[in-house]
Amino acid sequence: MNKKDTVSRRGFLKSTGAATGASLLRIGAPSLAAIAQAACTARDEAAPFTTLGADEAADFAAVAARIIPTTDTPGASEAQVIYFWDNVLGGTQKGLLGAVRSFRDDINAGLDAVFSELSEADQDATLRMMEQDMRFEICRNLTIFGFFAMEKHGGNKGHVSWDLIGFKGHHGAWLPPFGYYDAQRDAEKTDGQ
Amino acid sequence: MANDVRFEQRDAVDFAIIGSGSAGGIIAKELSTAGFNVIVFEQGPYRKASDFTHDEYSVIIESELLGGGPQQSGQTFRHNENEIATSPGVQPIRYAQTVGGSSVHFSANFWRFRESDFKERSMLGPISGTNFSDWPITYDEIEPYYTRVEWEIGVSGAPGPFDSYRSKPFPMPPLPVKSSGVLMEKAAKKLGLHAQNQPHAVLSQPFNGRSACIHCGHCMMFGCEAGAKSSTLAAMIPLAEASGNCEIRDRSAVFRIETDGTGRASEVLYYDKDGNEQSQKVKAVIVSANGAETSRLLLLSASAQHPDGLANSSGYVGRNLMFNAHGAVDGVFEEQLNEFKSVQVSRVIHDFYETDETRGFYGGGGIDARPLWAMTPIFHALEGMPHDVPRWGKAWKDEITNNFTRQMTFAIGTTSLAMDRNNITLDPNNTDQWGRPAIRATYHDHDDDLSTVQFLTHRAEELMDAAGARKFWSREVGLSNGGEHLLGTARMGDDPATSVVDRYHRSHDVPNLFICDGSSLVTSGRGQPTMTIMALAFRAAEHIAKAAHANEI
Repeated sequence: MNKKDTVSRRGFLKSTGAATGASLLRIGAPSLAAIAQAACTARDEAAPFTTLGADEAADFAAVAARIIPTTDTPGASEAQVIYFWDNVLGGTQKGLLGAVRSFRDDINAGLDAVFSELSEADQDATLRMMEQDMRFEICRNLTIFGFFAMEKHGGNKGHVSWDLIGFKGHHGAWLPPFGYYDAQRDAEKTDGQ
Repeated sequence: MANDVRFEQRDAVDFAIIGSGSAGGIIAKELSTAGFNVIVFEQGPYRKASDFTHDEYSVIIESELLGGGPQQSGQTFRHNENEIATSPGVQPIRYAQTVGGSSVHFSANFWRFRESDFKERSMLGPISGTNFSDWPITYDEIEPYYTRVEWEIGVSGAPGPFDSYRSKPFPMPPLPVKSSGVLMEKAAKKLGLHAQNQPHAVLSQPFNGRSACIHCGHCMMFGCEAGAKSSTLAAMIPLAEASGNCEIRDRSAVFRIETDGTGRASEVLYYDKDGNEQSQKVKAVIVSANGAETSRLLLLSASAQHPDGLANSSGYVGRNLMFNAHGAVDGVFEEQLNEFKSVQVSRVIHDFYETDETRGFYGGGGIDARPLWAMTPIFHALEGMPHDVPRWGKAWKDEITNNFTRQMTFAIGTTSLAMDRNNITLDPNNTDQWGRPAIRATYHDHDDDLSTVQFLTHRAEELMDAAGARKFWSREVGLSNGGEHLLGTARMGDDPATSVVDRYHRSHDVPNLFICDGSSLVTSGRGQPTMTIMALAFRAAEHIAKAAHANEI
């Protein structure tokens, strides 16, 4: 494989050690928590978060939903990416929790509302101002991972992301022809016989 | 096969083999079936085929097979010795920690070297500032062992127009062509080049009781759940264990080879699975831990008699590190290629393999057609997007959505020149998870290596255009930041002043210490070294067994 490391992957992992660990978790009012749960759940039953508070989960889910938006096709919300965040930020990527929390706090500090309550256009404008921030890179990577990783890690609900791009990773085996051009060649050969 | 062979630590075993990968696995099979008692030390766990998954997040992002990534290894990297090496986010030196070593997770592209590879220095003359040298052996001497590799581990393929001679045909036909291969053939034809079958250490047919490839598409960086990839785990270690003479001592990280009063290797010191220090008495040691780990272990085994490290009177241990330089041109096509299916590569172009002095620099390489990033979704989203697309939002999502099944890469693998400045040393500040000084890599590609990548990038762009890509883009050519091919750091040679092992892999300094792995290579080939490492291992084992039978160890 190619050895070049792009900013994105390097940045993500580099930040592992640089996470501040500062927890700026707000104590959410029950009503806010209920809204937040509703906002980020397409899940049949609103599963509780184990690592994230409901209000911060709502903001992170909104960030993820702007990185991979819902269009005429599913996005981060439908894939329930936030449950991947919740899972890994309490486990193998625990070291990133402080960084994403401080990112959220910095964003919300400049707003009259919280991020998740902004319009999509305002959310995009806010994130565009922050996209050079290493902590945005972390959010971007967590969203990619949560969208595309196996469902067992918490996101990619019902393989929506794989269906979207045409990956069939849950199939274990294939037979040729694999794609259009090798099939076409096979057909030409058959015609020529 | 269940295996209950356990050797006592206080009884000297005939051979301790450090590392169970491409070389160690073969040598273990050869010596154990020849009747010698063998312990194979492997720092990783003993995973079987059924343990391997398609879990991209765990395997690629969390470095499951690599032992957990940079935090665990503590590895550091720098471009020159004036810099303080730092620990980058992506582990700079990448190899699998699992029984079977990197033969478990490699892509299994499997070229032989050519006759010219072994004597380029004589053909081309010296290159200043480098340790560019001929090998002490020729293609004629290694050819029978290439054939043994093909027939004993299982290699599929068909000869190409520029290949050096072979004494026996491939044991099985090539794997089926992919859409990327068909497009490469079409482009090559237009440009007067030759797209040939890519040989693979992957079974295209059932072979030696193993099943054929099921085209699941998870070769590169993954272990093969079908056992069709011809890793030493699948092809050699079961035979070694069946001999009743071989113990695989997994989760055992060797940190020192002890020598006795006569300067001979006498004991292997290691950390067991609980991190406790253990020792094993030995009659002889074979180090096959890969070009980085082998160097570290020899440097860690310094003693009063071997003050600069074991087998290092030449000072060549750790030096001449060669990664093979790489490049890539990515392209998107109108129709679906579905490159996520089957092996990475089905066609390769070797027209630019040889050095052409009219280009003005040393080097050559291959260009192959493969999914690369479009193998799996996370990898594609992180690394595979064109430069002119936003990095998030709707436009980016649309690009991923369209491209994943329509994208492929012409990937370039080239020569690297051996130089003093590129090396493995012990990091003075960092340690790994066991407390061993971390591997520190210092590496700055030779200008000729970068010129070769640049030259081949232009050729790959022409090919992508001729293939009819709707859009294509190239990776910027730049310095290597690490590597998987860990070559040259204990090179073989006839002169003890400029090499670490002799032509039979016995160290010049310690008569019962042998070294065989990527570190043995004198030159780097063109980007696919594993076939040559395996051939050297068969050859080394034959000579080691002969010497042991003659009581000459």
